[in-house]
Amino acid sequence: MEVVGRQERILTRKQRQSRRAYAVILPFFFYISIWSLLPLVIGLLLGFTEFNALNGLPKWVGLDNFKTFFGSKDYIILLVRQVWMGGLCLIANVVLSFLLALALNIKHPLRGFFRTSVYIPNIAAAAITSGVFIALLNPFNGGLNMFFKSIGMEPIIWNYSQFWMVFWIMIFFVWRSVGPAAIIWLGGLQSIDASLYEAANVDGASKLQQVRYITIPGLRFISAYILLTGLIGVMQMFDVVMLISHGNPYGKTDVLMYRIYRDGVVSFNMGMAGAASTILGLVTVLIAFLAFKIISKGDKNE
Amino acid sequence: MSKAMRTTLKIVWVIGMMILVLFMLYPFIYSFLGALNTKTDFSNLGTLLPIPKKLVFRNFLYAFTKTGIPPLLNTFYRTSWYTFWNVLVAVLLGYVMARYEFKGKKLFLVFIICSQVVPSVLTMIPSFVMMSKIPFLGGNNWMGMGGHGLINNPLVLYLPFGWGALLWVFLFMQSMKSLPKDFEEAAEIDGCNFRLTLTKVILPMQKPILAVIAANTALGTWNDWFTPFMYINRIKDSTLPAYIGMLATSLQEMSGDRDFPKLFGLSCVSIIPPLLIFLFFQKYIIQGIASTGIKG
Repeated sequence: MEVVGRQERILTRKQRQSRRAYAVILPFFFYISIWSLLPLVIGLLLGFTEFNALNGLPKWVGLDNFKTFFGSKDYIILLVRQVWMGGLCLIANVVLSFLLALALNIKHPLRGFFRTSVYIPNIAAAAITSGVFIALLNPFNGGLNMFFKSIGMEPIIWNYSQFWMVFWIMIFFVWRSVGPAAIIWLGGLQSIDASLYEAANVDGASKLQQVRYITIPGLRFISAYILLTGLIGVMQMFDVVMLISHGNPYGKTDVLMYRIYRDGVVSFNMGMAGAASTILGLVTVLIAFLAFKIISKGDKNE
Repeated sequence: MSKAMRTTLKIVWVIGMMILVLFMLYPFIYSFLGALNTKTDFSNLGTLLPIPKKLVFRNFLYAFTKTGIPPLLNTFYRTSWYTFWNVLVAVLLGYVMARYEFKGKKLFLVFIICSQVVPSVLTMIPSFVMMSKIPFLGGNNWMGMGGHGLINNPLVLYLPFGWGALLWVFLFMQSMKSLPKDFEEAAEIDGCNFRLTLTKVILPMQKPILAVIAANTALGTWNDWFTPFMYINRIKDSTLPAYIGMLATSLQEMSGDRDFPKLFGLSCVSIIPPLLIFLFFQKYIIQGIASTGIKG
């Protein structure tokens, strides 16, 4: 009798547990799904419709929006530019943050102060700090050109040059995001076993060799993480573009994500925005997947 | 390496880092100095450091005028609201996911992990459409027609709760793994129910991770200028960073009211709360960055 009773208790306890788990989890998951999963589904359908979100119902137009996307050069150019401009920002950020992490990995009383300082640009929203850049880059009375004039150099009309606008977008992007990336690198650097370096020192390996054979292999997971999240991030980067250059000069720094935003939120062309979103999302996933494949292939060769 | 060389290298390093720090902090110094100028003074100045000829302080007070106070308060409300919910969801879901056995647990876990890598482009515009068509709100009927839904409706700053929060659920789950089950079992034997076990036993031991979640969400919500910027165009219902975003994007047009000192003054005010959060909870924020990096 006693044994049976105990078994029953165990069973009910398990049931009780799972019942309680569902009671806690399901309402939240349901609510979160409304705001995240539902838009994902809507987004997939949106691309096949013509819809202005203000009045009327969406009209099913099949593949028309996708034909427009691939038929007109505009969108393809923007997609390509999203990839190369994002790529430049990402590479600059990864390389510089790694160097910064190496520099921050030196024991010194001032290290904490330096680490805090390089992180601070990230705690201010992009919109808050972009004004400084716009003021400095004003071609007529901006600080930079006035400084150039005062030392006898020709002023540069930043706003009319694609090169310089991309350059400043990159500076703004890296300035904002180099700190967190450096902190992640730093965490990786410090998780490498110090005895490996000691052993290398005993064997007479140079500093460069130590970096090549201990540091870089030890950072494989971290670098994969930084690259993949960074990749997904820059493929959707547009706030920087919107704030620094507005896509100018003549739309030469415009990127697809910014176009999607304007299509959807400014001109209410939801169908086109939806189609372009789907394509950009797929391209992002594809590039991230390829990058992941390449990184994990490198793993096997090691 | 000789000792002399080592000291020179250290000095070179310190000087190099100092220059870097100056570069990183320069825009903040610039906006602080710029805010001390009057509008005309500033546009005539054109220097790398806008040192004011005549000190004015009223630019800092814009945030406390009739236009500035509502967005400032909205930012505070919104930040507290989302910080509270993020922590609550992370604790409840993280605890249950870490400790309870139930069917479909793996599925939830997969959902949590997958949701973190979905590109946000896939949800931005559809969310906007959904907000505009949400039933029963903003003059919409049950079909979501007739009104403008949550667009330009202050509720849009409080209702949505997306899967970004699941990152913290995951983090809390991970942190529960390092806590032995003995404490809860002991508490249960002593007659603690679910709520008591959580509040009296688990949470006091998980304070660091709670600080990580709270500090990071507070910082993130305060700095989320884009959501209000996208959904709301009345300054009164917006948040301070979004208001600054409106000013900043209008600066791109060469004509119109280009009041830089006002923008800088507002910026200086709106950076104070995140700066305080950062300085006080720096350890936790950095831990959050590093652990999402390492574990993610």
